[in-house]
Amino acid sequence: MARRVRVRRLLHRHGHLALAVLVLLAWSLSSNDWAGVLFLPVWVLATQLIVAGSLEAARLRRRAWLGQYLRDNSPWRRWLQGGVLMVLRHQLVGALLALVLLVDLRLLPLSEWPLLLVAVPVLVLARNRLRRRLSRHVVAEHLPAVTRRLVTLPAAALLALALVLAALWLPQPWLIGLGWEEAIARHLPGGEGRALLGFFERLAASAELTRQWAMQNAVERFHLATPVAMLGWLVLLLTQGAVAWAYVRLLVGAEALRREGRVPLTVPSGDGAPARDRQAGS
Amino acid sequence: MSSSGEASTLLSGRTPVGTSDGTSEGTSDHASRRGGWRGWALSALVVLLLLLVFEAGHRVLEARSQAPLYRVIVAGESLTLDAETHAAFSRDLTRLAAEAEATLAERMAPWSQARLEQAFAPLEAAVPGYLDWYFSMGGSYLRLAMGIAGDQAAWLEAQRHERLVEASGIEPALADLQADHAARLADEQQAVVEAMSARLLERYAPRSVADADIEAVSPPAFDLDSEMQETLPATLDTRRWRSAALGGSSLGLLAGRPLAGRLAASAAGQSGRMALRALAARLGAGAARSLASGGTAAAVTAPTGPGALMVGAATTAVGLAGLVGGEFALLKLQEVRHRPAFEARLRDGIVEARGDVARSLEGAVSAAAARLAEGLESRSEEGERMPGKRMPGDAIPDHYRILGQLKRPAGPDA
Repeated sequence: MARRVRVRRLLHRHGHLALAVLVLLAWSLSSNDWAGVLFLPVWVLATQLIVAGSLEAARLRRRAWLGQYLRDNSPWRRWLQGGVLMVLRHQLVGALLALVLLVDLRLLPLSEWPLLLVAVPVLVLARNRLRRRLSRHVVAEHLPAVTRRLVTLPAAALLALALVLAALWLPQPWLIGLGWEEAIARHLPGGEGRALLGFFERLAASAELTRQWAMQNAVERFHLATPVAMLGWLVLLLTQGAVAWAYVRLLVGAEALRREGRVPLTVPSGDGAPARDRQAGS
Repeated sequence: MSSSGEASTLLSGRTPVGTSDGTSEGTSDHASRRGGWRGWALSALVVLLLLLVFEAGHRVLEARSQAPLYRVIVAGESLTLDAETHAAFSRDLTRLAAEAEATLAERMAPWSQARLEQAFAPLEAAVPGYLDWYFSMGGSYLRLAMGIAGDQAAWLEAQRHERLVEASGIEPALADLQADHAARLADEQQAVVEAMSARLLERYAPRSVADADIEAVSPPAFDLDSEMQETLPATLDTRRWRSAALGGSSLGLLAGRPLAGRLAASAAGQSGRMALRALAARLGAGAARSLASGGTAAAVTAPTGPGALMVGAATTAVGLAGLVGGEFALLKLQEVRHRPAFEARLRDGIVEARGDVARSLEGAVSAAAARLAEGLESRSEEGERMPGKRMPGDAIPDHYRILGQLKRPAGPDA
């Protein structure tokens, strides 16, 4: 019984993360037709999650800057607090990042999904731990936001590293000795329909093929020494870090959106401090 | 309605106050508080906007660079096909080109059959004359004399060439046949190609895309007509044919002396032995014995020197002198016994030679058809990319593992 309660509490606390990841997983594994139909809602969802996280972080930064340089009674405080422009900018960037994430997720081999799934509990654990550490130093009001902001980078780096290491093992198509055009023509999945999503997928796939083609042929033709070849591969594969970066930001954004919806978060004055404590404990 | 400034200081997160005016500059509090649907709506709006922009860009790109329309000129008609129809068109063209060989062979067969009959008829007609000569008194003695002198095989071949090949006029007939065959092949190929074009046109003209804005895009055209016209001369290879017709048998066609050799090989290859046996039959037992023990065998077969030849010739001459009387009767007898078989062998040789000629003509037809098909196939495939074209053949590994590949070159280094 206690176990069930615990599970329910766990679900209640982190259900939003599980939901977001499951939606992404289901969408990226669904058939082409379904993916095409659901592309727009999933894109909106991903955008919203990423934007929630990045807006929070941006406001944190902006507020710190305002508090540092402006007088309390200056009207600039209000004007510069971050308005439509900031929101729009973040929406745009977030939408593009979400697009990259979604398209890359579609192309991700199934064997890399466990890494993404494992990343969720790891992220939660890291956040909890970091928050405990920070609670002694950071103002309680900003603790969750600061924690989320600080946990993003290492988590993304870790996930990117894991993905790169997995890519070292995963098989690639054999492209040595082929011309670039031939490699593209032979290995690019031929999707005719699904106008836009298919186009993006082909674009991303051809970019990946180009990377693999360049590196495979370079290693083979110039007889690169192992360290050099390894370095080259790592640099090329690190571009895959974009996926990890976007993914972690999405998770963090989901977190931010959830907490934000439950508890009023952003108040410039210190009035809301008691309310924040409850959240900090969660 | 409170001002936005108030709202931001009031901790009004759970109250809708100040969120409904929408005139605020969208401060952080407002955005986060309205967060709920307003953020979602904004996201949806941005995403939709991006989607529209990308969609438009995609359209432009597709229209400009991908050129999904193909223009094909068939039988003088210009068809504009979309990618799918064009793929079907290519497949059909390939199939038709592959069938071209059978069609061409079918069309050529009756004609070349008739022409071969015609060309070889004089040769067959010349056979009885040759046999008459062969078994005549003069021919018989000449043969005998040559048999004794030793170079009977070559002499017989020369005789066959003179009396059979030249008399029948098979050489110029075959040369004519070659030249005519080349011309006929060209005509038939033209006809086959035109039939192909007509079929393709009939099949694909209704599926042609008829749009006014196509012209602006100007897709790359595949001109089947000109491709075929370009392919045809290559397949005909007229210069080679002409030289073959003039100079002899570069393509394996039999003409002139090789034909005589052919007849000899099959009909009277054993001429030396034959002649000896025939002579022995006519000379009678005693003479044969003396001949066999003495001159002829040595004279015909053994090149033991002038002395042996002289001896052989002398004994044979002595033997012959006493036997002239019964010679004619014996000759007739031998003719009755041997002529049918000999004639049959000769005719077999002729049939065989004709088969050779027919085969080489067929070979020429199928080679031309194969070149036509190849040329058309390669040209029709040039336009589009064929991913799986070179798939079979070289056995390359289909996977590349970075770690596995890195370990491999590391081995020799260490």
